[in-house]
Amino acid sequence: MSLAETQAAFMGQVLDENAPLPEGWGNRHAAGMHIYRGNYRSAQIDALRDTYIKTQGWAGEDPFRTAAIHHVITHPSSSWTIDEAGAGFDSTCAELFQDAPEVAELAWLEWAMLEAFSAEDIKPLTIDQFALQTSALDEEQLIGLQIGFVPALACRALAHDLQAMWQSLDTPDTPRSDPKLAHKAGVIVWREGERSTFKMVELAEVIVLDALQSGASYGEACLVLAGEDAAPEAVQEAAMAIGAMLGRWASEGLIAALQT
Amino acid sequence: MTHTIAPFDGFGLGLRRTHFADFLEGDVPVDFVEVISENYMVDGGRMLRVLDEVREKHPVIIHGVSMSIGSAQGLDSDYLEKLKRLERRVDPLWVSDHLCWTRTSAHNSHDLLPMPLTEEALQTVCANIDRAQNHLGRAMLFENPSSYVTFPEDEMSEWEFLSAMTERTGCYLLLDVNNIYVSAQNHGFSAQDYLAGLPLDRVRQIHLAGHTDGEIIVDTHDHPVCDAVWDLYGKARAMLKDAGVGVATMIERDGNIPPLPELLAELERARGIAQGELEPAQ
Repeated sequence: MSLAETQAAFMGQVLDENAPLPEGWGNRHAAGMHIYRGNYRSAQIDALRDTYIKTQGWAGEDPFRTAAIHHVITHPSSSWTIDEAGAGFDSTCAELFQDAPEVAELAWLEWAMLEAFSAEDIKPLTIDQFALQTSALDEEQLIGLQIGFVPALACRALAHDLQAMWQSLDTPDTPRSDPKLAHKAGVIVWREGERSTFKMVELAEVIVLDALQSGASYGEACLVLAGEDAAPEAVQEAAMAIGAMLGRWASEGLIAALQT
Repeated sequence: MTHTIAPFDGFGLGLRRTHFADFLEGDVPVDFVEVISENYMVDGGRMLRVLDEVREKHPVIIHGVSMSIGSAQGLDSDYLEKLKRLERRVDPLWVSDHLCWTRTSAHNSHDLLPMPLTEEALQTVCANIDRAQNHLGRAMLFENPSSYVTFPEDEMSEWEFLSAMTERTGCYLLLDVNNIYVSAQNHGFSAQDYLAGLPLDRVRQIHLAGHTDGEIIVDTHDHPVCDAVWDLYGKARAMLKDAGVGVATMIERDGNIPPLPELLAELERARGIAQGELEPAQ
């Protein structure tokens, strides 16, 4: 057996607890393999626990552990960094916690915060720099304006009040209320200095941010918000709303560059 | 690869998050710190800022767990590039990893899996070391692992494998005394023979750690160094002294991490044994 074949077979043994041991392996080998199997699972489950502290708190220890084991089995790690063991865990939670869909949203939030924690250090535009650069634009330049955001920024639509869930987990004595929102909202995640943070926003803000992050210009984002066939007044209203959003994002240090 | 690594005769600790404040705010009496490479192979944020600040106070060693130097598929280019970026940023005393493999082309175990001790495996390891050292532009250290199985196809002892590896690639050795003890107990060889069979002039660093006893001893790094390992460390230091080799020594702790003074006390014991002021069993 070549080295490649030996390693593939050994990895197969590590990944599958029920895989029969190779011919000629005795009890001593079985005991050794038991340790490697245990190390593999515990390292990844510990990594999931470290990443998803709040998700575990909300879901409960045993259901979380079940989900973590399921995730490790269905998503065997292929990356050199164990941090990646948690990638896609929100989808696993969506599948396993169908009666509690807020768990998946909370898992998404914690993953976005982990990614923000070690994202590239970029100095955002100050509010003064932003004001100076935008005030110099003519109408045509403004319509074509593209906004570059800080690398750590992430956003998504939400059906649950993650802010309230987060706070209730920080104060365990507080009784939990139903986190379902009356209307869909959104959440933005970024890094403030060295600390990952988030805030809940109107759904419209996520729609616009998502469009801009996907490469839409300011003018195109206005059409996304107002609707393709919107009346000029509605487009004007969307332009005003997006202008206000840009001001807020600039003051929060979310904008890294403007490009005309 | 003709780069040499000068001996560094000092005593240090692994930098762990629990002790960040101690290292940032205080004057920790260590000669160097060792960091886990992968924790700092990131784009930005707090971890790199902490590392930069600690680096201003102490020499740093970067020690990896994921290079997978024994992989038949070769090395991961993305990993090597990120490691090189970290190496350029830190300018470490040296860069080290383990004699093991962690991944196949499809999966990563995130564990230090044992190498079959065969000529084919040796050739693979040496080719991978050549590539890593050429990519980094410097010689590396490789650590003897703890292992829990051996392979029926083994053709040589681990110390023979390590000796050939250093001779063929010019790499150096990170001697984990606890790992020698653990593997010797698990596989029934003599730890003394192991030490005697190594090219001691290639050793640049020693790791000391605790383990968990059982039917098979497991290298858990979550206990203090035990007396048997202190004893083996004393023997290793005496042999290295006879060989005229100065080495960096550190206490490695990754679980049940105690307050810093406890680790510094263990480090002081290591220093005392090395300097002949303490008997290993004291």
